[in-house]
Amino acid sequence: MVCVTLPSHIALEGKKRVRAAGDLPVYAMVGNPNCGKTTLFNALTGLRQKVGNYPGVTVEKKEGEAYSQHGRPMKIIDLPGSYSLAARSPDEGVLRDVLLGRRADTPAPHRIICVVDASNLERNLYLVHQILDLGRPVIVVLNMMDVAIGSGQRIDPTKLEAALGVPVIPCEAIRGKGVVALRLAMSRADLPLARHRWDVPGPIAPAVAELQASLVQTDGRAPLVARAEALLLLTDIDTLRVEGSTTLSPQTHAVLAQWRQRWAREKMDWSGTLIRARYEAISRLCAGVINRTRDLGPSWSDRIDRVLVHSVWGWLFFALVMAALFLSIFILAEGPMGWIDTRITDLGGWVKASLPAGDLQDLLVNGVIGGVGGILVFLPQILILFFFVGLLESTGYMARAAFMMDWPMSKVGLHGKSFIPLLGSYACAIPGIMATRTIENAKDRLVTILVAPLMSCSARLPVYLLMIATLLPKNEVSTPTKIGIMFLMYLVGTVGAFGFAWLFKRTLFKSAPPLMIMELPPYQAPRWKEIARQMVERAWLFLKNAGTIILAISMVLWFLTTFPKHPDPKVGVDVQIAHSLAGRAGHLLEPVIKPLGFDWRIGISLVTSFAAREVFVSSLGVIFGVELKSDDPAPLRVALQAARWPNGAILFTPLVCFNLMIFYVFAMQCMSTVAVVKRETNSWRWPLFQIGYMTGSAWLICLVVYQTGRALGF
Amino acid sequence: MGRVCAITGEESFVQRLREMGLGEAALVRKVSGTTTILCQVNGTRIALNHDAARGIMVEQLPGNAH
Repeated sequence: MVCVTLPSHIALEGKKRVRAAGDLPVYAMVGNPNCGKTTLFNALTGLRQKVGNYPGVTVEKKEGEAYSQHGRPMKIIDLPGSYSLAARSPDEGVLRDVLLGRRADTPAPHRIICVVDASNLERNLYLVHQILDLGRPVIVVLNMMDVAIGSGQRIDPTKLEAALGVPVIPCEAIRGKGVVALRLAMSRADLPLARHRWDVPGPIAPAVAELQASLVQTDGRAPLVARAEALLLLTDIDTLRVEGSTTLSPQTHAVLAQWRQRWAREKMDWSGTLIRARYEAISRLCAGVINRTRDLGPSWSDRIDRVLVHSVWGWLFFALVMAALFLSIFILAEGPMGWIDTRITDLGGWVKASLPAGDLQDLLVNGVIGGVGGILVFLPQILILFFFVGLLESTGYMARAAFMMDWPMSKVGLHGKSFIPLLGSYACAIPGIMATRTIENAKDRLVTILVAPLMSCSARLPVYLLMIATLLPKNEVSTPTKIGIMFLMYLVGTVGAFGFAWLFKRTLFKSAPPLMIMELPPYQAPRWKEIARQMVERAWLFLKNAGTIILAISMVLWFLTTFPKHPDPKVGVDVQIAHSLAGRAGHLLEPVIKPLGFDWRIGISLVTSFAAREVFVSSLGVIFGVELKSDDPAPLRVALQAARWPNGAILFTPLVCFNLMIFYVFAMQCMSTVAVVKRETNSWRWPLFQIGYMTGSAWLICLVVYQTGRALGF
Repeated sequence: MGRVCAITGEESFVQRLREMGLGEAALVRKVSGTTTILCQVNGTRIALNHDAARGIMVEQLPGNAH
C-alpha cells in the first residue's frame, strides 16, 4: 500500500496563488446533483450573476460575484452537478476539466466549495474525496442538515472538520442558515489544506506514480493535480473529451495505454478496486461523524411516493398534472397575450402616425414591430411553461414524471430522461432542446433533439386557430369541436415524434438499449424565488433572441416582400407582393405545393413563416390585404373564405385548411430552432437533416392527405 | 430488502453505479415498478430502467418479501 499525505509546502503554494493572481480570488462550487448547490450559489451571489456557455461545448457557465466579510469581491463559478470526476456527460466533463485546469477559457479555481447533502453523507463524500486529491484549499458545506436530522442522523461537523482538516460549515441553504458562516470561511486568507490520507490500492500505485510523473514532465501539471489526474485517467473508461479542453501529451497517452493493456491481460478490475478503496476510506471517516439515532420509519417523501409512483394513482396524478399544465398555458395566458398584442398594435399605430409614409415607416411597422411583436405575444405562455417546469423540478416531481414515462419511452428506444425535453417542447422547442443536456448517451440526446420540434409548440397555436376558424364556417361551432380539432393536432405531432424516434433508433442511431440511472430527489416545498429567477432568466434569453435573430429575419423578409417595387406605386399590397422577390419565389414554388392544394399566396406564407410559424398568419394578412388583429381572426377568416383559384374554385376548402394544419405539425418552420440545434450539435449537419426530414415528411403526408381527401370527395 | 451481489454490463455504467453507492454489498429495497424499478439505496431513491436493472444481481435477505 502507498500512503499519500499532502506536503505542507503545497499549502503555501495555494496561499501564494490567491495573492499573486492580483485580481479576484476564484471559488468553484461543486457537489452532487440535488445537493442544494444552486440555492447556495444564489444566496451568496444574489443577482450578481452571469450566465453563458463554455466555448465549444453546450454546457451552461454560471459565474457570480460575492463579497467577503471585509468587503472584498470574490468570484464564484457554479460548476455542473456530478457524482464523480469520472465524466459520463459533457456537463461532468466540464466540471472535471475546470478543476484540473485543462480549460484555457476558465483558469483553475483557487479554492473549492464542496456542497454536500448531509442526509446522504457517504455518497456525497465520494466526490469530495476525489476533490481533496487535487490539493487545493477546500471548504465543505454540510447542506440539508435539517433533512439529515429528520431522517434520524446526527452529524457532528466538528468531528468531520477534525478528520478532514478543512473548514466544515453546517448549513440549510434553503432557509439561508449557515450562509454567513460560509462567507466568513471564504474570507479567511489562510485556508488550511486537507489532512487527506488514504491508501491508493497497492496494485494500482505504480501506475499512478508513472502517470503522475509523465503528467508533470510532459503536460506541465503541478505534482498534486497530476496525481489526481492520474487517478482519474485510470478510472475514466472512455475518457470523455470535451471540446475546448487541452489534450494529453503522446507520452502520457502511451503510459496510460500500456497500463490498460497490462491490466486487461491480467483481468484486473482497477476501476472497482479504486472505488472500493475510496468508499472504505470514507466509511472510516464517517464512523465517528454520523450517529444514527433511530429509525424514524418512512419519511414524508416515502409516503408521498406511495401514491405518486403507484401503478394506478401515479398515472392518474400524472394525467392531472399534464391537464393542468396545458389548460394554464392556453387559458391563463390569454389575457396577458391580448394585452401585449394591443400594446404592439398601438405602438405600430403610433409609429405609423408619427412617421411620413414610405419605406422607413413600412420597415418599422411591418418589418420590425410586426415581426418581433408577433413573437413577443408568446412571452406569457413561455413564462407559464417555465413556471410549471420550475415548480415540477423544485418539488422533485419532474424526476418522478420521467420515471413514470420511462416505460412508454422505452417502446421507441429512448428512456425516461428524454421525456423532460419533449414536455418542454410543447411550449417552445428551444428550451426543450437545451434540456436534452442531461441525457448522457450522445445518440439518445441527438434523437431527442431531432424529434423535439414535432411536439406542437405555442407558435403553432395562431396557425391552428386561424385554420380552425376558416375550416368551420360561421361562429356557430361549439368550443368542444374546436378544442377537439386542436387536440387532434397535438396528438398527431406527439405520435409523429414518437414514430420518428422509433425509426431513428432503428436506423441511423442504432445502439444498445439505453441504460438509465436517475436519482429521485426528496420532495420539497417549491422554492418560489428560484422559480421566479429561472422565469426571468428564460424570459430575458427569449427577448434577446427576439431582439436579435428574429429582428434580423423580419427585416430581410420585409425587404423580400417590398422589392423590387411595382412600377405603378398605386397598386394594392397583394399586387406589389406578387411582383416582389418573395412573390416570384411563391410562383416558382407553386408547382411543388399545388398537389397539396396550396397556391402561390399560401406558398409565400410558407416561405416567410420559415422564420417562425406564427409569421404565417401575419403573411396571409398582408397578402390578402387585411388589417390584422391577431386576437380576432374573423376579418382574415372572411377574406380567406372568399379567396379563389384563377378558375373560380374555392382556395381554402376544409380539406386545404386541415392539410395546412398537418403541414405545420410536421414542417420545420423555425429559424431559432435551427440555430439552437446547430449550437447544441456543433455542426450544420443535424439542423439541415432536421429541416429535410421534417419538411419532407410534411410534404409527403400532406400529399397523401390531400389526394386521399379529394378521391373521397372532400 | 436485498444485497447486491454482482453487477454486469457496460463498464462506465458499472463504474457509475458503484460510485453512486450501488456497488457490490450495497443494501437495496425495491420501492415500486415492474419494468422501470425504483429502489432505495442508503437513504436515496434511485430509478433504474429495465435494461439497467437487469445487470444488477440482488440476493434476497431473509425476513422480507421484496
